[in-house]
Amino acid sequence: MRTDIASTLHWQQHEPALDAGRAPVLLVHGFASSTALNWEATGWVRDLTAAGRRVLTVDLLGHGESSAPLETDVYAPSRLRAAVLEVLALAGIRVREAGNPATGVDLVGYSLGSRLAWELAAERPDLINRAVLGGMSAEDPLADFDLDAADRFLADASAIAHASTASLMTLMQLAPGANAPALLRLVAAIKAERFEPGASVPARPLLFVTGDRDVLATGTTQLAALAGGSEVLWLPARTHTNAVSSRAFKQAAIEFLGR
Amino acid sequence: MAEISFPLPDLGEGLLEATVLEWLVKVGDQVERNQPFVEVETTKSSVELPSPIAGIVLTLHGEPGDVVLVDRPLITFAVADDSAGIVGTVPQEAAPKRRVRLSVVLDED
Repeated sequence: MRTDIASTLHWQQHEPALDAGRAPVLLVHGFASSTALNWEATGWVRDLTAAGRRVLTVDLLGHGESSAPLETDVYAPSRLRAAVLEVLALAGIRVREAGNPATGVDLVGYSLGSRLAWELAAERPDLINRAVLGGMSAEDPLADFDLDAADRFLADASAIAHASTASLMTLMQLAPGANAPALLRLVAAIKAERFEPGASVPARPLLFVTGDRDVLATGTTQLAALAGGSEVLWLPARTHTNAVSSRAFKQAAIEFLGR
Repeated sequence: MAEISFPLPDLGEGLLEATVLEWLVKVGDQVERNQPFVEVETTKSSVELPSPIAGIVLTLHGEPGDVVLVDRPLITFAVADDSAGIVGTVPQEAAPKRRVRLSVVLDED
């Protein structure tokens, strides 16, 4: 049986003031975040376009200005990646050509966005030049989420015993505009399609950037070891929440993607 | 020259304070309108704040790690006298937007 599912994704192109003639940079935000929170308020879009890069942003399904259907299957990470690839096609991204730095696309991810970027870089080495993976965890922190406790909490504010579930629920409720019922569908879809970093390792150049006080992004060293030749930048005194806007993070990413 | 102070703006969602993460300018710097001058963190997220005005930095009110309150002074500029009457607001510039419908075909055989 074939079923057609139409979903509305909000994406944008941000043109550089002076085009450096390099491939566009696609930004993939984290769980319970959005283009506006993860990349605009933090200065990423401004700094990348000021560096001459054309920037593509997309609100993942259930986030920002994209639609937020209340079904689980549509949030499968494989389908989120397929939607991102569809956006790249619509934006006119061409496969990489040797010696032509304007072809292909570079990726910058944060948290869940880094998981998706890792998988995209592994699946599409013909398309992806380089990737910067921020706040990335080797073991998906969402996969251990206690969905039943979260549902009870939303229904009648029952206390959540599982510490990381409680902290993620807090995150969802705190994030401006976050749609908790849709995000719980995404969590269910992630539990069914867990991140297995060893299953498919990107062969493209990678830069990992993690706050040294980030307790959610565990395993940066392990991921960097899996992807031979990759680079790691630790941000002093930064957490999972506040590493995103770090100037050192942005400058390192712009330098790495400009090589 | 005149002095103008800008308070920590209302960051929305009922937030009353923010923590200074990093100053992006120092005393004596010439800052342009829209140039980010500080990175702050709230309980919800971290953001850069763009300058509402062009001027020379006179005072940074707080060190990294300090909590600043909404409506309390955050930064003080020296500005040309003829611009001192302008009340600054944090600029909001809307980027061009596009909305597309993506059709995903599911094969459920």
